[in-house]
Amino acid sequence: MWAFIGRNLVLRIALLFVVSVLIHTIIHIAPGEPSQVDPSNPRMKPEDIAKIRAAFHLDDPLYLQYAYWLTDLLTGELKSFKDNQPVLGKIWRRFLNSLPLFVCTTLLVWTLAFPVGIHAAVTRGSMFDRTSTFLAYAMISFPGFVLAYILILEIVQFFEIPVIGLRTFGMESASSLFKFMDRIWHLVLPAFVGALGGIAVLSRYVRSQMLEVVNQDYIRTARAKGLEEDTVIYRHALRNALLPFITMFGLLLPGLVGGSVIFETIFAWPGLGRLGFEAILSRDFPVILTLNVFGAALTLVGTFVSDVLYAVADPRIRLE
Amino acid sequence: MTSTPVHTDVTLSSETLAPPETPWQEFWRTFKKDKLALGSTVILIGLLIVGLSGKIFTEWIVVFDTEVVRLPDKFKPPLSTPSQGIIPEQDLPALGLYLLGTDELGRDVFARMLQGSFVSLSIGFVAAGLSMIIGVILGALAGFFGTVKIFKLVSVDTLIMRFTDVMLCIPTFFLILTVVALLPPSIYNIMIVIGLTSWMGNCRLVRAEILALREQDFVQAGKALGLPEHRIIFRHLVPNAMSPVLVSTTIGVATAILTESALSFLGFGAQPPHATWGNILSDGKGFIFDAPWLVMIPGTAIFVVVLAFNLVGEGLREALNPKLRRR
Amino acid sequence: MPLKRALLLAPLLLTLFLLQSYFWVPTYEKQSVGNPERLVTYIEGSIGDAKILNPILHADTASATIVNHVFDGLLDLDENLNLRGRLATHWTISEKAYLLVNPDNRFPDGVEVTGERLLARIRRALKDGVLSEAASNILSIELLPPERQTHTFSLDEKAGTSGTREVDVTLTIPERLRFTLREVDQDFFKRLVPIIGDRYLLHFPYERYMEFPDGLTSEQKTHLHARVAEYLPVAEHNPEILFFLRKGVKFHDGHEFDAGDVKFTYEAIMNPKNLSPRTSDFEPIKYIDILDPYTVRVVYKRLFSPAINAWTMGILPEHLLNDEAMQREMDRRGLSEAARAAFGMRDSEFNRHPIGTGRFRFIEWHSDEFIHLERFEDYWEGPAEFKHYYMRIIPDLLTQEVEFRAGAVDYYGAQPHQVARYKKDPRYQSFSTLGFGYTYIGYNNRRPLFADPEVRRALGMAINVDEIITYLLYGEGERITGPYPKNTPWYDHSVQPLPYDPAGARRLLEERGWTLNADGWLEKDGKIFEFNLITNNGNPIRKNILTIAQNAWKKIGVKCNTQLFEWAVFLKDFVNTGEFDAVVLGWSMGIDPDLYQIWHSSQAGPQQLNFVGYNNPKADDLIVRIRREYNREVQQALAHQLHRLIYEDQPYTFLYAPLSTAVLDKKIVLVYHEPDGTERYEKIYPTKSGNIYFHFGRWRKLAFTPEF
Repeated sequence: MWAFIGRNLVLRIALLFVVSVLIHTIIHIAPGEPSQVDPSNPRMKPEDIAKIRAAFHLDDPLYLQYAYWLTDLLTGELKSFKDNQPVLGKIWRRFLNSLPLFVCTTLLVWTLAFPVGIHAAVTRGSMFDRTSTFLAYAMISFPGFVLAYILILEIVQFFEIPVIGLRTFGMESASSLFKFMDRIWHLVLPAFVGALGGIAVLSRYVRSQMLEVVNQDYIRTARAKGLEEDTVIYRHALRNALLPFITMFGLLLPGLVGGSVIFETIFAWPGLGRLGFEAILSRDFPVILTLNVFGAALTLVGTFVSDVLYAVADPRIRLE
Repeated sequence: MTSTPVHTDVTLSSETLAPPETPWQEFWRTFKKDKLALGSTVILIGLLIVGLSGKIFTEWIVVFDTEVVRLPDKFKPPLSTPSQGIIPEQDLPALGLYLLGTDELGRDVFARMLQGSFVSLSIGFVAAGLSMIIGVILGALAGFFGTVKIFKLVSVDTLIMRFTDVMLCIPTFFLILTVVALLPPSIYNIMIVIGLTSWMGNCRLVRAEILALREQDFVQAGKALGLPEHRIIFRHLVPNAMSPVLVSTTIGVATAILTESALSFLGFGAQPPHATWGNILSDGKGFIFDAPWLVMIPGTAIFVVVLAFNLVGEGLREALNPKLRRR
Repeated sequence: MPLKRALLLAPLLLTLFLLQSYFWVPTYEKQSVGNPERLVTYIEGSIGDAKILNPILHADTASATIVNHVFDGLLDLDENLNLRGRLATHWTISEKAYLLVNPDNRFPDGVEVTGERLLARIRRALKDGVLSEAASNILSIELLPPERQTHTFSLDEKAGTSGTREVDVTLTIPERLRFTLREVDQDFFKRLVPIIGDRYLLHFPYERYMEFPDGLTSEQKTHLHARVAEYLPVAEHNPEILFFLRKGVKFHDGHEFDAGDVKFTYEAIMNPKNLSPRTSDFEPIKYIDILDPYTVRVVYKRLFSPAINAWTMGILPEHLLNDEAMQREMDRRGLSEAARAAFGMRDSEFNRHPIGTGRFRFIEWHSDEFIHLERFEDYWEGPAEFKHYYMRIIPDLLTQEVEFRAGAVDYYGAQPHQVARYKKDPRYQSFSTLGFGYTYIGYNNRRPLFADPEVRRALGMAINVDEIITYLLYGEGERITGPYPKNTPWYDHSVQPLPYDPAGARRLLEERGWTLNADGWLEKDGKIFEFNLITNNGNPIRKNILTIAQNAWKKIGVKCNTQLFEWAVFLKDFVNTGEFDAVVLGWSMGIDPDLYQIWHSSQAGPQQLNFVGYNNPKADDLIVRIRREYNREVQQALAHQLHRLIYEDQPYTFLYAPLSTAVLDKKIVLVYHEPDGTERYEKIYPTKSGNIYFHFGRWRKLAFTPEF
């Protein structure tokens, strides 16, 4: 068990290293310069630009730049090109903004997808199954930003209530319960729009997993024993169908980073996705790189946890 | 878009009962029962024709000119006629009216949608095709040569699958965005980038299939006959492992079209002079109050085509899955 | 089945919990009507966040907006774009002129030059009325004794050194004459020619006055020679500005503002560690003297009349940013040795919590969400009417509009088509004023295809600019003909714009040998007239101009391919390297008439701003004369000449100056307090320069819509 975890950890750290080298190379080989070097300020002189380039180590060989990045990251002194703020602090603050949205979206996806998927599988070929199939695909087929716009316009029109941003402006003096509920309200729409695709995908997946299991012999046996249909489905079938979802749960975490650039832009949500997008636009290399590595690390942590959980949950798998 | 559809890991059952009909007949019998998928296939065939005629009539034999700018006729709603006397004779639209209205420069939206249908569909097909080819090749190599070691150090399987892991670790949309923002903008780059960042699912599917098929009798027989390995892999194994890949590629086309429209939203989609549905949509979004058809028309077009691909993919999945078939 | 029930209940409860939050949120109506604070709160919507809130470091518009509220400059521009005192109450400009005594030279009558003789001869000439033009301007003349001075020059690769090297050169400065002049006079030394002779200013034997350290190559010595000649010219103009500072001005932390802060701000800009993007504005300064706590003397190295405009920049508080303060900050943050060594003002937390003397003081900044300012009650001009100022960051144009229409944002940068809509709405007041920007198509003048001004003129004549203004900008633009902002006196209104005349354009090109071929393209010597027109991504209007120009040129047989590039790539790969045919771009100009960086032929190298490679010796001469001239009328006449010259050459097709548009709720007005305690309201109006924010301190939102 411990050997398995240890080996796994080493492997993942090695992977993380490869990923960071890869991203570093992609970013630096591609054209474009940090915006500080090319401000549209007509008074910027080549000497000033040279000074800035030197301060950012832009003229050093790639491996040296990578080394600078790594040492700065490990000592916690990595600074953004854009505003000289510590990168880790920036990412942490945005992470805190993204987290509630992420949690809310995830909850919506996972709570809604299961009942829909199970019911569709149980009543395969029925009206419900066909409608939910169609709706699920309709949801993932809509360009998300169009849907977001339509919802925003309609809700603002009908309810005359703010939906953009983290909170309503001018509520500083309100009681904390009001403030809390206000924050929740501002979560609803972006979370819902972000969850639609997830619900569709996951409910389809639940359906197909259930269908796989429902055809197995032991279910037939259970039915033959004369067990109640609900007991067959929810006790015997669902439990076995659940196993692969442990893997899926592990792959959720990286959605925190890159998943929502467009919705964060539309809803003026200061999250990680926008941080990354703006960093790309201004070629803020330390932020792009750190954020991507952060995303990769989340993926690795997620898959690691799910691997371990899987092994714990599935008696057929033994950790060597 | 924000999340890509996850493809189910469908494994073929190992029981080999003699089929009462050819696989193709069996497939068609199941597939045509699915009315949604069947309808979608018809729609898709129609769209392919539209796409091809778009290429023909806007670029080879210019019937619908996509480039003519008629500023005085900007934001004309669908089915309106050009202003008489202001627009010069040679700039009038093909049928004497704007079928789908005009955009902010007075260009004919119908002509642009027609041209865009070809570009959008080819982005979808090329990107999904690329991702399929890479996925199949790498997956087949990993599955078949799983245990062969390179330089006696790492096995082919480990190498390929670790590389797949690396690619999976990088947030895909970020990677696409980074690369597209950095490369010179052209539809080819967009196709390639989407293709290069979406093959990992296919690779895993093929590998899993091949691992299951590798030990089967017909492969052993092939080996015994002394067939060359590439022949065994690509003539015998891969065709048998293709069905899940086919499903995921069909859905991949849809995803690529959506990804292009998302990139367009952020300003990194296909660039003029190429009109795509994605960039017609994102150019039009600023004028949603002034000219709603500039959002509605491309939005609906994307919706219909993506939905059709998804439903066809679903139909294929059902029809190709032997476990679900005989019930 | 409990599991089944749980599976059904969970989504139901979650959805219900999320939806019930609706009832706790105030509607837009309640926010604006039920909340008196809202009337004294101004919320501005911005697409991007600020980067760095420091007047000497920022380079983006969002930061500039905030910094202008939080900091005051010594000067600013008044309603007519003239300079006006802010932290300085008034100022004077004079000049000290230095002339080296050159013993190698002889006077025109053959007598050897010495300091005493030179002084005596000039004094005599002044008395005799020979130098009548200079006489009235000279306040005093002194003869300065020789002095020894050690000056450090840094040598770089250009001087044949590997890396940079600091070299101390000891100079024996010979006798000098110092003239104190009432006004700056760029021709002062020319006026002395009758006495000193016309060859006096040409040559000076620097080698006799310099001592080098050992071990320099002859190449390096030659280089140093040139550097010394630059440092110590034979005849030197030193313009001087004397600023008299306002007394009793307080920073937001209560500390009093004085001359030390002015000097500190200058030194902070010039400190290479701070990487200030404003160094070139302040580089002409020789030194700054504090005469007393409220008087500062700024001495310039050479004639450069636009230099005074730099003092509109905000002044930093010395007590919060000097070395001791930085030391304290480093200690508090517990930085490592390496970080300490590299620590500069850019790293300071001050840039996220700025303290200035401005009308608003900084409260808080949530990155990419909002920046909150509050009015400064002790502001020297009296507190503002608005109590709170918010900059909300809303990156999407459409949602900005939604928030504005709902009243949750008071101002945002409305697009022309939106302005056209608001103009019809009785709830809003809108302003369209000329700003400092213009949009153009720039041709790479180095390319043989565009080398001929007539070809460039023909291309310009093929484009219907009026149609662009009417339909693309909804009338929110004005035609321009030259390189100056239309609202400044430098712009020559008598220059007529190019006519829209495709037939004439075709004729011009035919005269140049371009004839139509079978495919409908213009052709000359077997090559068709084809080029690439590019611009940056993300600006919808430029993108549309690209398409319009392409379409217009197609009609006269010119084949133009268009491409969009992302901004960073666009600059690095095309503009900075000069590897382009034609670009659509815009300039945002300053208030001064100096066009050196954009149009002087010496500025056409890589990374420089004359990227189209414009080269006209006559224009070069005018540009240099304008930046040395301190008399406004003369400057204006020269600027008009330059404007016409550039118009004749058509290095750009000057398209239009976009009007800056602002849409505001009609409830926002100017508030005046009458002596009897009542309030009087006036409609907000743009100043002559097009600035509607000039009286921002008086703005307030009323509970009702006033009639004017």
